[in-house]
Amino acid sequence: MAAILTVLFNGVAYGFLLFVMSVGLSVSLGMMNFVNLAQASFSMLGGYIFVTALQGYGIPFMLCLPIVFFAVAIVSVVLERLIFRYFYKTDDLTQVLLTIGLVFMSIAMATYVWGGTYQRFDMPAWIIGQKDVFGLTLETYRIFLVGFGAVMAVTLIFGLERTNLGAMVRACVDNRRVATACGLNTELIFAFTFAIGGGLAGLGGALSANLLGLDPNFPLRYLVYILIVVSIGGMGTITGTLVASLALGIADVMGKYYVPQFGSFIIYLLTVIVMLWRPHGLMGRGA
Amino acid sequence: MKTALSMLAATALAALSAQATTAQETLKIGVLQSYSGMTALGGTHTDMAIKLFQQKYGDTPGGFKLQLVRRDTTGPNPEVAKRLVGEVVTRERAQILIGPDFTPNTLAAAPILTEAKVPSFVTGAATTGIVGERSPYSARTFFATPQLCKPLAAYAVKQGWNKIFVVAADFAPGHECEKFFIAALKEANGTLAGNLRTPLSNPEYSGYIQRIRDAKPDAVFIFMPLGELSIGIVRAINDSGLKASGLKIMGTGDITDEGYVDAVGDAALGVITTGIYSTQHKSALNEEFVKGFMQLGEGKHRVGWSAVSAWDAMRIMYDALESMKGQKFDPDKFKAFVYGHKFESPRGPVQIDKSNGDIIQNVYIRRVERVNGVLHNVEIETIPNVPFK
Repeated sequence: MAAILTVLFNGVAYGFLLFVMSVGLSVSLGMMNFVNLAQASFSMLGGYIFVTALQGYGIPFMLCLPIVFFAVAIVSVVLERLIFRYFYKTDDLTQVLLTIGLVFMSIAMATYVWGGTYQRFDMPAWIIGQKDVFGLTLETYRIFLVGFGAVMAVTLIFGLERTNLGAMVRACVDNRRVATACGLNTELIFAFTFAIGGGLAGLGGALSANLLGLDPNFPLRYLVYILIVVSIGGMGTITGTLVASLALGIADVMGKYYVPQFGSFIIYLLTVIVMLWRPHGLMGRGA
Repeated sequence: MKTALSMLAATALAALSAQATTAQETLKIGVLQSYSGMTALGGTHTDMAIKLFQQKYGDTPGGFKLQLVRRDTTGPNPEVAKRLVGEVVTRERAQILIGPDFTPNTLAAAPILTEAKVPSFVTGAATTGIVGERSPYSARTFFATPQLCKPLAAYAVKQGWNKIFVVAADFAPGHECEKFFIAALKEANGTLAGNLRTPLSNPEYSGYIQRIRDAKPDAVFIFMPLGELSIGIVRAINDSGLKASGLKIMGTGDITDEGYVDAVGDAALGVITTGIYSTQHKSALNEEFVKGFMQLGEGKHRVGWSAVSAWDAMRIMYDALESMKGQKFDPDKFKAFVYGHKFESPRGPVQIDKSNGDIIQNVYIRRVERVNGVLHNVEIETIPNVPFK
C-alpha cells in the first residue's frame, strides 16, 4: 500500500513538474495563439539565470525564483518587440520555423556563455532529502514542487483565465481589429502576456533544471514533453494544461512501476489516444 | 599544343618529385570527431590532447611532417562519417586516421579504411568486435565494453553485496553491458535481484526506483550513456533516500564521468565505478598530463577519457613513425608496429593486441570522493591486463 501511495505521489509531483515546464508555452500558444517553440529556450535561460544567482551570487533559493521570473520576462518582452510581434499574423509553419531557428541559436549562445557541460546545483539543505508524511517517505523537493505548482496553477487560473485581462487577451487574439476598435491597446496586451509566458517558462526551467540536468541542449531535449502536455491539455486553457500534466505524470510513473518494459511508451500511447478522441485536447475550445 | 602541355606537366612532375625526395614526406592525419552538437566536448578534448602532445613532441615524428585534417562527424551519424572518411581518404589523401568516434561511425568507416589501407585509431567507440576482423588496419585506444561491465560483479560479491539489481539504458550498448554483467555475476555466484531497461529519453525515474526498492537489493549496477541520464539516475536514487538507507550504487565510469560529476554533486559520493582512467591515477606521466591539460584548458576542462584515448593514439602513432625513420610511409609496416605495441599511458600500462588490434589494459575500481574540495574518481583497486572480450 505504501508503495502504491508513494508511486502515486511521485506521479503527481512529476505532473506538477511537467506543468511548471509547459505552462509558459500554454500561455503563449494557448492564449495568444502563437507557436513559440523558443519557450523551451526561455526555460533554459531561466535555468541558467537561476544557477548563476544561486551558485554564483549565493542568493537564497526562494529569492532566486522571482529574480528568474522577472529577468526572463524582460528578456522575452525585448525579443517580442524586436522579433516576435512581426510574426503574430503569419501562419503556423512560419512561426515554427522562426522559433525553432531561435532554439538552435539559443543552444549555440548558451554553449558560448556557459560552456557545454552540465551545470552544478547546490540546493539549500531544507529542500533536499526526504520527509515522513502520513507514514510515507516522500522527497522534500517533490513536496515543494507539488505545493509550488498548485499555488501557481490556482494563481494563473484565477488571475489570467478568469479575469478581464484574460478576456482582453482572448479578444485581441480572436479579432484584433475589433478589439482595437473597442479601445484595447493590443500591442501592450500582447507584450504583457508574452512577458508572462516567458517569465513562467523561465520559472519552469529554474524549478526543473536541477532534476533534469541543465546543459545547452536542454530546450531540444524537453521540447517534445512540453508540446505533448500543451496539445493534450488543449489550446487556450491553463486548467487543461494542469489536467494534462497530472494525467501524464501519473500515467508515466505508474506505467514505469507496473509495466517497466513499456518504459516511457505509456506517455506517447496516452497522447495518441487523447488526440484521436479529442483532437483539440482535453479541454480545448476547438478551432 | 598538346605536346607543349604534356611537356609542362612532365617538368612540373619532375619538380614535384625532386622536392619530395629532398624535403620531408608530408603525412596527412585525418581527425574525425564530433565538434558540434550534443557530443562536441569529445572533439574539443581530442583536439586539446593532440595539441598538448605536439607541444611536447613536435610535429615531425620520424622525419614525417604531420598535417592534421579535421572533420566534424556531428555525433553518431554513420552516413556523415562515411562521407567524411571517403573525403579525407580519397581527396585529402590522409594516410592515418584518428577516429571516427562512436560505434556506428566506426563501422561505416571500416570498409573504406580496409580497402584504402588506412590505419586508424578508434578513440571513442566501445562496442566489441569493431576492430580486427571488421577493420584490419584499426587499433583501439579507448576501451571495449566487457572491460568495464564485467569486473564489478566479482568485486560486489567480494564485498558481500550479493543481491544486485541491474539498470541499463534500452539501446544496443546497454543490452550488451547488461549481458556481460549478468553473466559475470552468475560466474561470481551473486544473485540477480532484478533488471530494468530504461528509455533513452527519460526525465523521470521514480517509478523505476520504487521497483528497485521493492526488490531490496544490496547494490544496483547502472549502465547509462554519457549525459543527463547518468546524472538523473544517480541523483534520483540519492533523492529517494535509497542510498542513505544503504543501497550501494555501482556502474561503469559513465555515471560519474569527470565531465559532469560536479553536476551529479554529493549524490555521487561513494558511488563505485569501473574506469580505464582517472585524473587521480598515481604516476609521473599522468601528473604531467593532467597539469598540461588543465593549463591548456585554463582550468575549465577536466580531463576525460576521450582526451586520454587521443593522447595514446598520438603516442602509438609517433612511436610507429619513429620506427619508420628514413623510409617511405607504409601502412602494412605501420600496422605491424602498432599491433602488439606496449606502452605507458597516463592511465597506466597499455597494450594493443597482436592479432586483433583491440586494447588490453588495466581496469580500475574507483570510488567517488572529495579530494581538495572537488569530486574525483579515486582508484581503490586495480585489475591488471583486462582482455577486450
